[in-house]
Amino acid sequence: MKSKLHCLLLVIVFMGAFFVAAMPAHAAKITVVTTLTDLADFARAVGGDLVEVHSLATGVEDTHGVPMKPSFVPIMNRADLLVLVGFDCEHAFLPALLEASKNPRIQKGTPGYVDCSKGIVPCDVPKSTDHSEGDVHPYGNPHYTLDPVLAKTAIANIYNALAAFAPQHQAEFARNRDLYLIELDAKIAGWEKELKPFRGLKFVSYHEHWPYFAERFGLVYYGTIELKPGIDPTARHIEEMVASMKADHVPIVVREPQFPEKVPKRIAEQTGATMITLPIMPGGVPNTETYVKMMDYIVQTMVTAMQSRK
Amino acid sequence: MRKAVILMTILGVLSFSTGAIAQTVEDRLTALEDTLKKQEQTINDQKKFIEELKAELQKARPPAPQAGGPAEQVQEQVQELKEKVDQVAEAQTRTIPSVFNPAIGLVGETVFSYRSKGSDDTGSDRPGGFDAFQRSVELNLSASVDPFAKGYAVINASADPRTGESNATVEEAAIQTTSLPWNLTVKGGRFFGEFGRLSYIHDHELPFVNRPLALDQYVGGESRTDGVQVNYLLPIPHYVSLTVGAGNQFGGDVPPNDVGTFRQGSNVNYWGRASTYFDVTPNISFEPGISGLWNPATTDRDGGLVQPDGSTFFERERRLAGADFMLSYKPLRNNQFQSLTWGTEVLYSDNRYDVAMPSGTLLTGRTVGSLGLYSYLTYKFHRQWSAGFLYDFVESAQNKGARTSAYSPYVTWALSHWNQLRLQYTYTDPNTATGLKPDNAVYLQWAWIIGSHSHGWQER
Repeated sequence: MKSKLHCLLLVIVFMGAFFVAAMPAHAAKITVVTTLTDLADFARAVGGDLVEVHSLATGVEDTHGVPMKPSFVPIMNRADLLVLVGFDCEHAFLPALLEASKNPRIQKGTPGYVDCSKGIVPCDVPKSTDHSEGDVHPYGNPHYTLDPVLAKTAIANIYNALAAFAPQHQAEFARNRDLYLIELDAKIAGWEKELKPFRGLKFVSYHEHWPYFAERFGLVYYGTIELKPGIDPTARHIEEMVASMKADHVPIVVREPQFPEKVPKRIAEQTGATMITLPIMPGGVPNTETYVKMMDYIVQTMVTAMQSRK
Repeated sequence: MRKAVILMTILGVLSFSTGAIAQTVEDRLTALEDTLKKQEQTINDQKKFIEELKAELQKARPPAPQAGGPAEQVQEQVQELKEKVDQVAEAQTRTIPSVFNPAIGLVGETVFSYRSKGSDDTGSDRPGGFDAFQRSVELNLSASVDPFAKGYAVINASADPRTGESNATVEEAAIQTTSLPWNLTVKGGRFFGEFGRLSYIHDHELPFVNRPLALDQYVGGESRTDGVQVNYLLPIPHYVSLTVGAGNQFGGDVPPNDVGTFRQGSNVNYWGRASTYFDVTPNISFEPGISGLWNPATTDRDGGLVQPDGSTFFERERRLAGADFMLSYKPLRNNQFQSLTWGTEVLYSDNRYDVAMPSGTLLTGRTVGSLGLYSYLTYKFHRQWSAGFLYDFVESAQNKGARTSAYSPYVTWALSHWNQLRLQYTYTDPNTATGLKPDNAVYLQWAWIIGSHSHGWQER
């Protein structure tokens, strides 16, 4: 009986030690959870050493298909701020995760729910949200961060949220933001210069990721390989796309790495276009760990593809 | 003479007056001519001045815009924008009676089947041979109740398996808190209680056509209950979820267990579940869980259960324990196109019965321990296609010697998120103690969704 009691006490002590060890240390930093990696990069740039940033996506996922891992729940449970793209970009995984997180600080409508689409005028707002149009985004295309000028609006929203959460650090956040924007503005000028000779260039992609990018750099976003958002192409759609691409001399097929290579490659072969693989968020392909590196990669890959066709 | 004087006077006056009038008219005409000349001069001067002013004005004014020029285009765009803004502003003031309506979705599910044996041999509530069964028509409603809770309801208007009558039943109607402190969530009403892995999943969301035999046998189909459930997320960096609940019924196919009696605390069902999760690698995850269900003093749940040997069982205590896991391979990059999932659940039922023997003898407090399990493997090889295999095994909760196994390969074609077809073959192999016969069955399930539909945390 005595030995059993000792065993029981030992188990209780062990479990207590386990839970105490597992408890997070007092968080001096602001805990920020972002849905995607581009927002994580912006949050790190603005927050600097004052923030601890976790991204739910690693960069290789589809923006609409980040797996709902239970391991995200404790991270979100402790978050001070949740930074998201908005325009329903995260509709497939975020609502359920938010509910499971049981964190009242980051629920929709609270200051901790940082919707970076605030201030963005969306493109491609559907006239109908009927499912005959596929998995449409009712508020418009959510892939605005691929336009670096619109990305500055996201950065501003993150800055505002951090400054409101920790006003004592507002000056430091402002300094970090300004430094990052100086770098970004210089980069934007460079990217515009590099892509200027290709203004009017037509291209297609698998999913509707690129209208904002095309608009910014004077390119022509010709269409998607997907039949409708979230709906794989049918044989007829591919046939029609090949015919129209040939007629309109579309030279580039963009394949996002989240989607299979087979169909984009076939379309490129049949039309004589060049297929390139472009990331849609930092980390999507090697050497694109930051937003600036990713945009560098996108612009360089596009320029190289066009130059190789001359 | 007098007349002559008067006439002379009149003539004198007239002649004088005429001379004076002639003089005045001439002067006035001259004056008028002068005035006219002056006015003409003034007009000419003013005309000249106006012309000069016009010339100056012409010099000062920018050139008039040409039709279709940039300025006109800008003006048109501004006008267009103004009209749009006006339309939006007008739309804001409209009365929309449905503005506070909840999200509404409808799920339909039809199962076409062929079974090689009749229901007397299979124990099924569907006939043998060819069959078409509208298994469910589910109306889903959900919305926030207030800043502190959300509410949802699932109304199922499926046909009764035996009579074909469509009966609308409330499958779920519950309120759930959204802002409790201490990582707590409380749910109350009618809902699917959290027990095991698949018992709280609706039929159309199962990875195969039919609910596993073990869940039908021990839980009673879906884990429907009228009660309350509390969920707690441990405040540690590792995911651990704990759930406890209490309700006066557990299992969709079974009636409340003590109608007409005074309900003691011991007559209520109590259940609990603990689950956790491990990222083995970024692409591989492992999610184990354990569950328990206990009703200390059931009174005639399901009434008397007549056995093939003629004895009748009356359930007096319900005890069910379960352990489950899900091992998944989901490559992060293309998880929408490829995945492999292995799910398994083992259930152990240890119910206590009073048994009325055919001889009339009543045996009290007889405990029957029985085992059931299911295990399935699903491989997704395309965004639209997946295939898998389900193995079922169950012992009767009243007679552990009565065993049934089933083997079910299946293939699923999801044309979209809202339209899915599944073809499944099932070979069911009961032993002789069950009183049933082996049979072959082919099922074609067609499930569709219209309106709002989102997967909650449990259906992930």
